Amino acid sequence: MAKRKEGARPFAFFRAGARADAVSTAKPILVLEDVYKYFREDHPTLRGVNLVVERGEFCFVTGPSGAGKSTLLQLIYRKHTVDAGRILFCGRDIARLREKSIPFLRRNLGIVFQDFKVVRHWTVQENVAIALDILDMPRRLVRSRVGEALERVGLEGRGGERTENLSGGEMQRVAVARAIVTEPALILADEPTGNLDPHLAIDILTLFEEIHATGTTVLFATHDHSLIAKRNHRLISIDEGRVLEARQGLASWRSDAPPAPAEEPVTPADNPRPVLRPGLHAVS
Amino acid sequence: MELEAMMTRARRGLREERRLYVVAVSSLAVAFLSVGGALLAMQNLSRLADRWGQSARMTVYLAEGIEAADRTQLQITLESLPEVASLRHLSGAEAREEFLAHAEVDSSLAALPADAFPASFEVELAAGTAPARAATIAERVGELRGIDDIETYQGWHERLAALVRAGRGVAGALTFLVLLCVVAVIGNTIRLAVARRRDEIEVMKLCGATDRFVRGPFVLEGAFQGLLAAVLSVLVLMAAFAALRGAFDASLAALAGTRTVFLHPALLAAIILSGGLLGAAGSAVSLRRYLQV
Repeated sequence: MAKRKEGARPFAFFRAGARADAVSTAKPILVLEDVYKYFREDHPTLRGVNLVVERGEFCFVTGPSGAGKSTLLQLIYRKHTVDAGRILFCGRDIARLREKSIPFLRRNLGIVFQDFKVVRHWTVQENVAIALDILDMPRRLVRSRVGEALERVGLEGRGGERTENLSGGEMQRVAVARAIVTEPALILADEPTGNLDPHLAIDILTLFEEIHATGTTVLFATHDHSLIAKRNHRLISIDEGRVLEARQGLASWRSDAPPAPAEEPVTPADNPRPVLRPGLHAVS
Repeated sequence: MELEAMMTRARRGLREERRLYVVAVSSLAVAFLSVGGALLAMQNLSRLADRWGQSARMTVYLAEGIEAADRTQLQITLESLPEVASLRHLSGAEAREEFLAHAEVDSSLAALPADAFPASFEVELAAGTAPARAATIAERVGELRGIDDIETYQGWHERLAALVRAGRGVAGALTFLVLLCVVAVIGNTIRLAVARRRDEIEVMKLCGATDRFVRGPFVLEGAFQGLLAAVLSVLVLMAAFAALRGAFDASLAALAGTRTVFLHPALLAAIILSGGLLGAAGSAVSLRRYLQV
């Protein structure tokens, strides 16, 4: 492949083939500074949001319907643009990203939705492989990495099935496999358990925790308090567009005495699966 | 690899939306057939007009009961003119024979006696003789004794030239309409396909696909539709030409000594290529608004 002109764009960092430098990896993965988003002129959906997410954190983002949880995530994957403030992803201001660079930002993210957003008439394999096809990866490598991802989400050997024949829980696993197959630095899960029954919701949450255990940062938006109560992850609560920290995150744990967890959090050391290389996406 | 992935997705799109595409390709083939037909008609009319323009001729009708000496004198005078390339005497019986051989006539006309056809000199003027010069010659020859009438075919030529001009205008307008039609049909077909495959586009965009990656297969599908429609229209046109040329050739040979010809291979290639390009362009244009995710 021809050498890309890295210096030609302010956000070449996010382009396929680019690698994160040491300075970028030392910074918090996500910083929101005084972020405002208006969908109605007189009523901001997000008002002055300040937030820092460290690498390797698992954060619940919670709040009532319409509080701004989804908007917050949408600003991060640049479905929308902030009206004021800035969002730094690995130190780069993604709020100012040009349209052409947005795809390269999204390649560093894994996004999972409440309504799964899988292509029902594709096979499971095709649904997961699309994320790697976009990266122009060799077919052989795509097959092996899709196989690995399906194994991690408990769908090994089912790549050939049509996705429409799967249950809701299985479809969400396909969506999770698609989100992790590129080994992104950050996973954004927007109410991923919203369409699932409580038992399946716990399964999916556990799946995200296993992914988090490999070092991937996860932002998990949910309004399901029963789910939040079962785990002792950092809790970011949004109400009427304002962010309130209900439980503190890694940065505080590191600086202060660690709080006693209600339930043992899953750590990389606990996870028997082979650790993948999470981080800013780089194509070999 | 990216191209391979695009081709794979385009093939799948064509397979999954085949009914939609069959309808679109049929409509487009009819549109291309109209243009092809118009071009074919134009090409043959132009050829006819050129032939008439190049080989100016006149028919000198002899007066009934002309003396042999006068006829010989007339022949000598005509042959002495520098503009006359060749001269042929046609008796009434020969004129009747030629008429019956070249024209499809019913039994009542076939029963006409030979004296219903006047004897004449068929005069072929030298190549490059201007129509005005031909008219002057006709005027001068008309003053000679033993001549009933002179036909310079100038009126025919003018009418044919006007017909060719009008035909060119119609063909141009038709081509423009077909361009619009192709872009609209392919655009709408792709829009329908896109509407049915919006989930795919959304998933790809959320996974970090560039617009080029998303658009590629749709553009390939559009190009394929346009190409297929153009190829089909050319094949139908060839079949129709082969079936109908016999009927036209006899009349044209009698009238102008020419035969019908099919479109030049380069023009056929241009029609097919433009089908593909228009298909691709229609598809690319119609996709723009669906790429915002």
